[in-house]
Amino acid sequence: MADSSSDVLQGTLDLLVLKALSLAPLHGWGISQRIQQLSRDALRIGQGSLYPALYRLEKKGMVKGEWGTTENNREAKYYALTAAGRRALTTEANEWEHYAAAVRLVLAAKG
Amino acid sequence: MRGVLTWLRGLWHRGSTDSDLDREISLHIDLETEANVRAGMTPDAARRTALVAFGGVHVAKDAVRDERSWGSVVHLQQDLRYGVRALRKNPLFFVVAVLTLALGIGANTAMFSLLDPIVLRLLPVRHPEQLVIVRETGNHFANTYGANTISWPMFEDLRDNNQVFSGMFCRFPTTVTIGYRDRPAQIPAELVSASYFPTLGVRAALGRTIAPDEDAIPDSKPVVVLSYTFWRTYFDGDRTIVGRAIDLNSQAMTVVGVAQPGFDGVDLGVPAKVFVPIMMKTQMTPHSDGLKDRRRRLDWVTAYGRLKPGMSPEQAQLALQPLMHRILEMEAQQPEFTRNATAEDRQVFLRNRAELLPGSENGLREYMRKPLWLLVALTGAVLLLACANLANLLLARAIAREREFALRLAIGAGRARLVSQLLVESLLLAGVGAILGLALALLADRFLLRMYLPADTAAEFVIAPIPDGRVLAFVMGVMVLTSVVFGLLPALRGARSELTLPLRDRSSTVSAGGISLRRMLVGIQLALSLLLLFGAGLFVRTLRNLENQGPGFPTDHVLTFRIDPSLNGYSDDETKSFYERLNVNLQTMPGVTSVGFSALPLLKGYAWQNPVLGKDFEGAPIEAQPVLNAVSPDFFATLGIPIVAGRDFTPHDDVPRSWSNEFGYAVVNETFAKQYFHGQSPIGQHFGLVSDVNTVRPDIEVIGVIPDRKNRDLRETPPAQAYFPYFQGFHFRFMNIYLRTQGDPRQIEDALRERLREFDPNVPIVGLQTLNEQIGVSLRTERLVASLSAIFGGLAMLLAAIGLYGVVAYTVTSRTHEFGVRVALGAVHQDVVWLVMRDVLLLIASGLAVGVPLAFALSTLVRSQIFGLDPHDPVTLVSSALALAIVACVAGLIPALRASRVDPLRSLRSE
Repeated sequence: MADSSSDVLQGTLDLLVLKALSLAPLHGWGISQRIQQLSRDALRIGQGSLYPALYRLEKKGMVKGEWGTTENNREAKYYALTAAGRRALTTEANEWEHYAAAVRLVLAAKG
Repeated sequence: MRGVLTWLRGLWHRGSTDSDLDREISLHIDLETEANVRAGMTPDAARRTALVAFGGVHVAKDAVRDERSWGSVVHLQQDLRYGVRALRKNPLFFVVAVLTLALGIGANTAMFSLLDPIVLRLLPVRHPEQLVIVRETGNHFANTYGANTISWPMFEDLRDNNQVFSGMFCRFPTTVTIGYRDRPAQIPAELVSASYFPTLGVRAALGRTIAPDEDAIPDSKPVVVLSYTFWRTYFDGDRTIVGRAIDLNSQAMTVVGVAQPGFDGVDLGVPAKVFVPIMMKTQMTPHSDGLKDRRRRLDWVTAYGRLKPGMSPEQAQLALQPLMHRILEMEAQQPEFTRNATAEDRQVFLRNRAELLPGSENGLREYMRKPLWLLVALTGAVLLLACANLANLLLARAIAREREFALRLAIGAGRARLVSQLLVESLLLAGVGAILGLALALLADRFLLRMYLPADTAAEFVIAPIPDGRVLAFVMGVMVLTSVVFGLLPALRGARSELTLPLRDRSSTVSAGGISLRRMLVGIQLALSLLLLFGAGLFVRTLRNLENQGPGFPTDHVLTFRIDPSLNGYSDDETKSFYERLNVNLQTMPGVTSVGFSALPLLKGYAWQNPVLGKDFEGAPIEAQPVLNAVSPDFFATLGIPIVAGRDFTPHDDVPRSWSNEFGYAVVNETFAKQYFHGQSPIGQHFGLVSDVNTVRPDIEVIGVIPDRKNRDLRETPPAQAYFPYFQGFHFRFMNIYLRTQGDPRQIEDALRERLREFDPNVPIVGLQTLNEQIGVSLRTERLVASLSAIFGGLAMLLAAIGLYGVVAYTVTSRTHEFGVRVALGAVHQDVVWLVMRDVLLLIASGLAVGVPLAFALSTLVRSQIFGLDPHDPVTLVSSALALAIVACVAGLIPALRASRVDPLRSLRSE
């Protein structure tokens, strides 16, 4: 297994994938690159958890995969958000904000 | 089936989706490699780094598969593998659980499979549920041949005047001698009315059945229909037999057909081999012509009716009463009735009613119903016990694995995954148990049938090769449900409890709920065990009482067989001469010390009963009538029954033929003397037997007295008995012959057979065996009940002990710390043992507290099955309770002793 510090908590990964796809459809590698970029290299998706997440989301109907070609004319499966995925992104992002705010409050407490 | 298809489709899709996944992953790695190269790596290093970053291609693939719908198939394989491994890791648990399951399933299925054909199954005919037996209740004031019989004229009246049946027929079962190709044999036959086959809806497999005109005039049509089985075995399925004549009782009878396969008459207990028109009765039953006899005081036919469609038996029974009453009114006017009856008798007689019984009712059924239901009830208790034991085992395992499951949940296993894995484990267990149970049931059925039924019946008894499906389904359902519910408990408990708690704390807090449930289960097991042990004690002692008490005369060294030359067409004089010559012949046989003849067999449940003049006709129930027999002069000597007063018969007791009674002399037993002669010396006293044929006088003289000895069966208290000199009679039919031998009677069996064949090759001998063998057969029901209840009782005790051991062992383990502290603080070994044993005794006491009253309440229900002791017999109860308590104490003592050896240092450090 790879470095655990860069591992992404389960549950959070789904949220990150949804967010990455909210801008434009991407293939798997693209998603991991996008998350890495957006997190300024803090988060690295790899470790075999991305594809399971994608299939999970696909099964739940939040993303939809379609085969297409890359700019270099290579076959790749592009994932796009569905309407359900968009809704899920909004709610989960809200929940995350709440959670993160709560954790921040706890950590900020003096004493 | 659908499951298999889904699985195959899953495999198919798995292939295509897997290649999709491969393409996605390889693209990912390619792109990553390119990015690495752009960042300045060498191509090789770039690819390696990409692969490392991806984190293992296979892991990813597996993980993706998990997310797929068809992943469950792969899971199933994994779960199965894991399940097998988990069960193999704990072989003792596996063996005990599987054996428990097999016992529960096997015992119940086997017992019900025995109950079903003997007690429950309907006749293999068209709409068997419409078929009823019409019987007359109450005292018939008649001579009756067999249970549920009525007179031939009454049958005709019912047949011709009823409004409730679409058809009626009657039958009379008898034994006939068949002579064919030098193979004389006695076979069960049914004399039937012509309406028999059409009313039953039974067709001919070959030829035809009995035609209506063959059942019109007595003695006119000597025809016979063969049963299919008999045709196949005795005639080797010879198709040319139809149209040919065979000898029945030396009367040539034309075979007109073979009945449809699977039909062996209406008495499932005595499969009929041949069917003869009832109009041939005189030929088939010499000396008894009930058919031509228009008197109505001779009951010998069983009447059957087929209910009209939509008619319930209750409606039909109600509708038959006016007709029955008219018939009885008419009969009560007839001289045969008025000659002996008082006005009171008439009132009793007119209260008789018509009653309908299920058409499948028969003697075997009546006799075996109670013991078989009793055994089914016992196996039901075993099932309950097996479920409790299984639940207990699974709970123990669940508690032991609580940590394992908490751990697995903590490291991210899905709860559904855990549940499915436990489910697979439970089903695996149940599956193996079920297969073993089924095998056990099949084996047990074969064994039980052989043990339970008379040898000649067992060979032909139609029993399903596969145990009854409904029962199998029910029993398996109960056991599988038990294993699934209790097997899933760890997952369900895991769902409730805090994940980390079992990980941190390994002592009693978490499992408190589980252990109290297990204690309750052990209590139930102990109570049920006591029930079964107590029952086993009662039945074993019943058997021992019957065997030990015996009939009251020495039964060793006695050989017996039955013979009936009258079925070979021998006249009364010829038969009498046959018997006289046979008597002399056998007396001179080497190894034989004495020979006795008896009209009725001893200890086989048969009885000849007749009211005694002047006392019994006033509505005396049959039980109050004396038991009669006709015997040869040496009969009492042969059986070792002493003459206590007067003398035995001699070959020279001439009876004046002018006397009204067939027999002029009698030897009576002490009870008869007491009942009929009120303390006076019975020798020289006279009595007479009630007859409906002619007026009789009390002119039978008592010449001797014998002590009370059992006659019909081993359970009876000897009733009043009177014996008559057989050779002085007018009519000669079958005879039961008893030979007392010098040595082992079995040694001369072959010689005896040969001697009898030489004596008369045409007369078959039936049922040659030692008297002890015959008694053994007559006790087969008691032996079956005793041995099975003993086996069940022993197993129950074992299971309860295992359950108790498991619970106590668990408690001890979870209290190791406490014991350690106690020992460290100065407690000695005995203190610790006592601490544990106090708990054990409490458990035993609570089990007995439930079991004893239950055993008391239930044992009254089996009163009729018990002989020679009270159903509440305190010795049996105390000894079975004591045995259970001792075994349970030992089971508890093992972990208690282990607890006392706790090393305080180790136990404290381990926390």
